Amino acid sequence: MTTRRTLLATAAGLALALTGLPAMAQDEYPTKPITMLVGYGAGGQTDLIARASAKVLADQLGQPVNVVNKPGAGGAVAANELRGMAPDGYTILFQSNAVINAAPFLMDRVDFKPDDFEYAGMITAYQTGLAAPKDAPYEDLTGFIAWARENPDFAYAALSAEARMYMDRIAEQEGLQANAVPVQSGSEMVNTLLAKQVAVAFSGGIHYRYPDEIKTIAPTTTFRHPSAPDVPTIEEAGFPLAMDTRTVIILPKGTPREILDRISSALKAAETDPEFVKVTETANIPIMYYDAAAAAKEMQETYDKNKVILTGGN
Amino acid sequence: MEYLLIAIQDVFTGPSLFWVAGGVLLGYILGAIPGLGKATGVAVSIPLTFYLDPVSALGLLIGIAKGSGAGSAVSAILLNTPGEPSSAPTALDGYPLARQGKAQKTLKMGLFASVIGDFVSTVVLILLAAPLARYALLIGPVELCAILVFSLTFIGGLSGGSMIKGLIAACFGIFFATVGMETETFVPRLTFGFLQLDDGISLVPMAIGMLAVAEMIVQAGNLRELDAQTERMKDSDNPDDRRITGPEWRRCAPVIARGSLIGTIVGILPGLGASVGSFLSYGATKRASKTPEKFGTGMIEGVAASESADNAVVPSSLIPLFALGIPGSVIAAILIAAFILHGLTPGPRMFTEQPRLVADLYIAMLSASLIMLALGYAGQRIFAMIIRVPLRLIIPGVLLFCCVGAYMETSSVFSIYIMLAFTLIGFLSRKLDFSFVTFLIGFVVAPKLELSFRQSLQLLNHDWANLVKHPIAIAFFLAAIATVLAVARKEARQSVGTIDTKREELS
Repeated sequence: MTTRRTLLATAAGLALALTGLPAMAQDEYPTKPITMLVGYGAGGQTDLIARASAKVLADQLGQPVNVVNKPGAGGAVAANELRGMAPDGYTILFQSNAVINAAPFLMDRVDFKPDDFEYAGMITAYQTGLAAPKDAPYEDLTGFIAWARENPDFAYAALSAEARMYMDRIAEQEGLQANAVPVQSGSEMVNTLLAKQVAVAFSGGIHYRYPDEIKTIAPTTTFRHPSAPDVPTIEEAGFPLAMDTRTVIILPKGTPREILDRISSALKAAETDPEFVKVTETANIPIMYYDAAAAAKEMQETYDKNKVILTGGN
Repeated sequence: MEYLLIAIQDVFTGPSLFWVAGGVLLGYILGAIPGLGKATGVAVSIPLTFYLDPVSALGLLIGIAKGSGAGSAVSAILLNTPGEPSSAPTALDGYPLARQGKAQKTLKMGLFASVIGDFVSTVVLILLAAPLARYALLIGPVELCAILVFSLTFIGGLSGGSMIKGLIAACFGIFFATVGMETETFVPRLTFGFLQLDDGISLVPMAIGMLAVAEMIVQAGNLRELDAQTERMKDSDNPDDRRITGPEWRRCAPVIARGSLIGTIVGILPGLGASVGSFLSYGATKRASKTPEKFGTGMIEGVAASESADNAVVPSSLIPLFALGIPGSVIAAILIAAFILHGLTPGPRMFTEQPRLVADLYIAMLSASLIMLALGYAGQRIFAMIIRVPLRLIIPGVLLFCCVGAYMETSSVFSIYIMLAFTLIGFLSRKLDFSFVTFLIGFVVAPKLELSFRQSLQLLNHDWANLVKHPIAIAFFLAAIATVLAVARKEARQSVGTIDTKREELS
C-alpha cells in the first residue's frame, strides 16, 4: 500500500518535474480566480478570518479569491469534497485544523489523515479553554477542582464532543459529579455563562469578547492565551490534554510544491496587513503564522497527540 | 440623545442612506421571489460589507433582513408560495383573498402590518435594548422549555380542517427534525451515512421544497382551471376591494398590535426565529376571533397577524446583540462579523465607546422602516399584476429560483436533493389534505423543545423539586395546562351543542 502510494507519488512528481517547469515559465500561478471553501456557514469566527485572509491573498496573488461557504459536519463535508478536487491550487479550503487532527477520532465516518491533503500554511490559533463567570470563586483549574468537590452536581456547558471529553476526563480523575448541559452554538454557550446557569463552559475563544463578565480558568492549548497570559494552561495544572487548533489552508493531495509556497508566502503578508491585524485584534484571535512546511509538521504532530488523548492511542 | 441629531445628519448626508435603501430593495425583491430570501441576500452582500463604511455595511445587511421579511408576503399572497417559511401563515388567508380579486387590498394589509410590526420592534430596540436584554437572560433553558410548551397550545389551532391529520403532520415534522447529530452524546441520528445530514435537515431547502416547489406542481396540475379563473377574475370595480376600509382597520388594529408584541418578544428570546413568531401570532388571532372557522378562507386579520409578527422579530432579535453582544439570529451573527470587520466589538461597551455609531445605526434602522413602506407601496400595483400572468409563464421561473435558493445556502447539490424530497412530501400532504403548516411547526419547534428540555434536565439536576427556583417556568407550565383545559371545555361544549341540534333535527 505504502510502497504503491510512494511509487505513484514519485511518478507524479517526475511527470510534474518534466512537464511542469516549462509551463511554469510561461504563466505563473495564479492565472485565474481562486475559490476558497469555508466549511462553516457565513458569520462565524472562522468565516470571518477566512474572508480577511482571502482579501490578503487576493492582494498578494493578484487574482480574486472568492469565498464559498460549504457548511456541514464541522467542515468534514467541505474537506471530503476537496479531496476529490484537481490539485491545481485553484480550490483551497480555509478551515480549523481540527477537521483533520481531531474529527477522525470523534466522528465515525470521518477518516482523514494528515497525508490525505497538502497544507499551505496556518495563520491564527484558537484560544480554546474552560471559561467561567467573572465572579466565580475560582481563578484556575486547581481552584475549580477544589470548588467542585464541595459543590457536586454543578453544571457545565458542552458545545462539542471534545468539550465533553475535557470535563469527563477531569471529573473521572478527580471524582467530581458534573451535569453536562448541551449547547449548540458559541452564542448559546456565552449565554449560559452570562446568565450564570453553568459553573464552567468550554469555549472556542469567543468568550474573550466579554472581559467584564467572563474569565478563562484553563486554556486547553499548549500555550498560554495571549488574551489571558496569567492563567496557567490545562497541562500546567497537571492534565496532559491540551489540543491546539489553528486555521489552516488545505489543498488537495498532489498540489505542486511551488503553488503551496506561493500561497504560503502570500499568507505571511497577513501578519503585518493592517486590516487583518485590526480584525483579529477585535475578535481576540492571535496571529501565529506557520509556513507550508511548518504547517504540515504541526498537522502530523497534533494528529498523533490528539489520537492518544481522544482514543487512548488505539 | 444629543447624538441622535448628529446621527440624522450622518445618515442623510452620507452614502449610508443609499445602501440602506439598496438593502431594503434587494431584500424586498429577493423576499418576493419564491425560493430566494434572506439567506441569498446575505450571501450576495457579505463581500460588499468589506468595502463599505460600518454604518453603510450594517445598514445594507439590516435593510436586506427587513426587506425580505416584508417581501415574502408578496409571493405568499399572490402565488401561495411563501418566500420565507415565516410567511407560510400569510398564504393561508392571503391567497384566497387574492383569488377573490382583492389582491391589492391584501398586499396593502401585508405591507402595513409588516411596516408597523417592524417599526414598533425597532422603537422597542432603541428605547429598551439594555434593560430588556438583561431581563432576557433570566429566560434560561428551563423557562424556554416552558414557553415552548405553552406556545404549542396556540399552534394547535393551525391544524386546518382535521385536528387528527394536523397532529399527524406535526409528528412527521418532528420526525424529520430529529435527523442529525444528537446534542448530548454526538451520535448521528438517521443520517444513513450522509455527512451532509450531520447538522440536520436545513430549514431553507426543506421549506422551499415543501412550500414553493410542491405548490407549483399542484398548480401545474390545475393549470387550465386556474388560468380560466384568472381570466374571469377582475380587480372588482368596488374601490373598497382595493383599499383597506375603516372597519377593517378597526378589526386589524388589535391584531397588528398583538402580532407586533408577540414578534418582539419572540425576537428577544434566544433562537426561536421569525417562523415561531408568525405561527404564534396567527394561532393566537384565530383563537381570539369570534369566527375562527372562517380562517383559511380569506380573513384579512390572518394576513395582518402573521406579517406583523414576522417582521417584528427582525429588529428585536438584535436586542441581545446590541445590549449583550450575543447574536439572536443568523442575521445577527453575520452583523457581528460585520462589526468586527470594522474593528467594533458589539455589546454593552459599544454604547459608551461608540455612541455616535450606535445612534447612526438606530437612525438607519428607522429609515429602513420608512423606505420599506415607500418601496412596498409603490411596488404593490406592479406586483399585483403578477396574478394576471398565466401560470405556464410563472412556474418555470419559480422552479429555477427555487433551485438557486436551495443551492446557495450550502453551495452543494445535496440541498437540491433535499428540496426535491420535501417537494414530494409537500405534494402528498396537499393532495391528502394534511396540514403542511403543522408539519413546519413540528419541524421548527421540536428541536428547540428537545434541546431546552434536555438542558433543563441537567440544569435541574434531574430533580423536579428544583423547578421551584424557576417561577417563570412554573407560570408558563400552568398557563399551558389552563389553556388546554379551556380549549377542551370549549370543544366539549361545542360538540354537545352540535349533538343537541342534530337531535332536534331528528326529532
